[in-house]
Amino acid sequence: MQVKEEVVKVPLSVDERWDLIEKISKQTVEFGARKHTLKDAIAELTVKPLTGIPVAIAVIYGFWAFFCEFAGTLFTDGFMVRLFDEHWLPWLQSVFPGKETWLYFIFVGDPAADNCFEAFGMLTSGLFVIFGVVLWAVLAFYLIFAILEDVGYLPRLAVLVDTVLHKIGLHGYAIVPTFLSLGCNVPGVTATRPLETRKQRFMMMTLLAIFVPCGAQIGIMQDLVPEMMGWIFLTLAIGYLGFGFVLNKIVPGKSPEIIMDVPPYQMPTLKNIMSKLWIRTSGFLLVAVPFVLLGCLIVGLMYLTGAMDWLAAVFGPLLTVWFGVPSETVAPLIAGFLRKDLAVGMLGGLMEQGIMTTFQVFTSVILLCIYFPCLATFALMIKEENWKEILGSLASLVAMVFVYGGLIHLVGIMLGVA
Amino acid sequence: MEKKLSEMEFDEEGTVKEIKENLRKQVAGMGIREGKEIRMATKQPIKGPVVVEVDKSFTSLGLGVAEKIVVEVG
Amino acid sequence: MKILLMGHPNVGKSVFFNRLTGAKVMESNYPGTTVDFTKGWMRLEGEDVELIDVPGAFSLEPKDRAEEVAVKMLEENRDSVVVCVLDASKVERGLYLALEIIERGYPVVVALNMWDVAEDKNIKIEVEKLERILGVPVVPTTAISGEGFKELVSKIKEAAPVKIEKIIESASGVRVATSAGEGGGGESAAVSG
Repeated sequence: MQVKEEVVKVPLSVDERWDLIEKISKQTVEFGARKHTLKDAIAELTVKPLTGIPVAIAVIYGFWAFFCEFAGTLFTDGFMVRLFDEHWLPWLQSVFPGKETWLYFIFVGDPAADNCFEAFGMLTSGLFVIFGVVLWAVLAFYLIFAILEDVGYLPRLAVLVDTVLHKIGLHGYAIVPTFLSLGCNVPGVTATRPLETRKQRFMMMTLLAIFVPCGAQIGIMQDLVPEMMGWIFLTLAIGYLGFGFVLNKIVPGKSPEIIMDVPPYQMPTLKNIMSKLWIRTSGFLLVAVPFVLLGCLIVGLMYLTGAMDWLAAVFGPLLTVWFGVPSETVAPLIAGFLRKDLAVGMLGGLMEQGIMTTFQVFTSVILLCIYFPCLATFALMIKEENWKEILGSLASLVAMVFVYGGLIHLVGIMLGVA
Repeated sequence: MEKKLSEMEFDEEGTVKEIKENLRKQVAGMGIREGKEIRMATKQPIKGPVVVEVDKSFTSLGLGVAEKIVVEVG
Repeated sequence: MKILLMGHPNVGKSVFFNRLTGAKVMESNYPGTTVDFTKGWMRLEGEDVELIDVPGAFSLEPKDRAEEVAVKMLEENRDSVVVCVLDASKVERGLYLALEIIERGYPVVVALNMWDVAEDKNIKIEVEKLERILGVPVVPTTAISGEGFKELVSKIKEAAPVKIEKIIESASGVRVATSAGEGGGGESAAVSG
């Protein structure tokens, strides 16, 4: 050992630390020859704009196709609709006592209904919405999300969309809560935690609550109005970006730039994917089942007591004049406070009765998306935001519903379809 | 020739010359430091973030962040 | 005593955690999912010891919220042993974090995880020499298959704080004195940050 003495300060500076690391690694690590592997090539291709954007579109399209095929065609249409409409509903109608009683109305609903969308009872529409439609949609969604997550695709998607999202004051990483919210807004709101500033978190939560429909809602919309899905997503995306742009201008605070590791691709493990799928799906059911059943109960009681007719009379003019939708939509809008999937399902019931035009259906679906996050999401937002932010979110919400809802009606009038 | 990291061309290679003080500590843990070889892996259009490669690891940096890093190229 | 599991994001830290505790936790690839950290218990020489899965961090100089949480958790648990999980194919990057933790006076065990990947990439690491220079236990591991875990667990009790001057000495063969007084040294500087 040399006698020369050096003096160091603890902790070391960045350069001193790196000097030390280089000394250590020179003595202990040997890098053998390495080829540029296929994995490296794919890794780069998916993050370059020229190839990455088409890949991103293909991935999302594949995601959507799988979602529709698996959840919509295979489970819901192929199996569940038949099970519920042809077996469960007639059976329940035949064995449940007292067709004229309020108990029958609450649990089974309309005795003349021949499908579970129209019946509106807790055990008919309620169970059908959850187990007939929504569960499969959510399961399909979380399966693909878990795969994309474990493969390591999400950071690449974040880099690609940062270009756009940074312009509205968000981080590319905001794609993760947004994407996750397409499954359920509740974990989506939780996933905003890593966003760096309060401004970004507030913006993200507000945008999620207003413009991102959850998997439950998407699943049931896909079942009811498959031909409209493109327009629905377009309208919501325009709202998300447009309103994000406005929020970025008026909300004080910083929007720091992205500094993010882009990890190499990995082979996902089945065990991890299954464990995530289980945790997320069971989490979903825990929230969804009680709220959907409660929603059915409350709406049923409101019909029975006449409260619904009263509300329809009070809000009818507003709904018909400003938004251009029939006053009957008051019922789904009430249910929507609790569950969006149930609300869209009730809208389906109104459609089957033939009292709405196509454009009115479209407007109602958009209104249901944006007018209020479901109760579970809102409860979580109250926990995550301070009171000022809560008021801000609510004010944004009200303003957005009137402006955007009215705007859609206006566009409809101008196009001559409303 | 010296230029800002944000001005590097796609696939261009260089050596990190200087990193602005605040940023230095933030990116040090990701292996980006003065004297390191750096490659521009991808650039996004319309002022999007860049992705750089250092020691076989990829890091995405906002364009404003990339402006705070000076690189010796050529 | 507590055990903190620290390391970069995406080094298989959560799989690591699962192996050590057997509990159900989520493992994810995007930065930030473990901002809600996970706790568990592991058996260590007949005792149940608390194990905390700290959010992934590249350094103790936070650049995002996950890293802020990581630093806070480290500071709140001064009496813990840190198991620092590195990606064996990116040792240099990983050592940066490991050294920062050592400088702050924590007893550290270094796990060179994804050892199989490093071997595939033709990277050779002299584990014993690294251990000698750092003065802390260094164990190659493969979290997916469970290789190296027995050894890792057996070394946790051996971990003790090391002065950074010692490491500089053994790395460069130069005698070093410190200007920051005695002891773990880094403590005062670390907490003030």
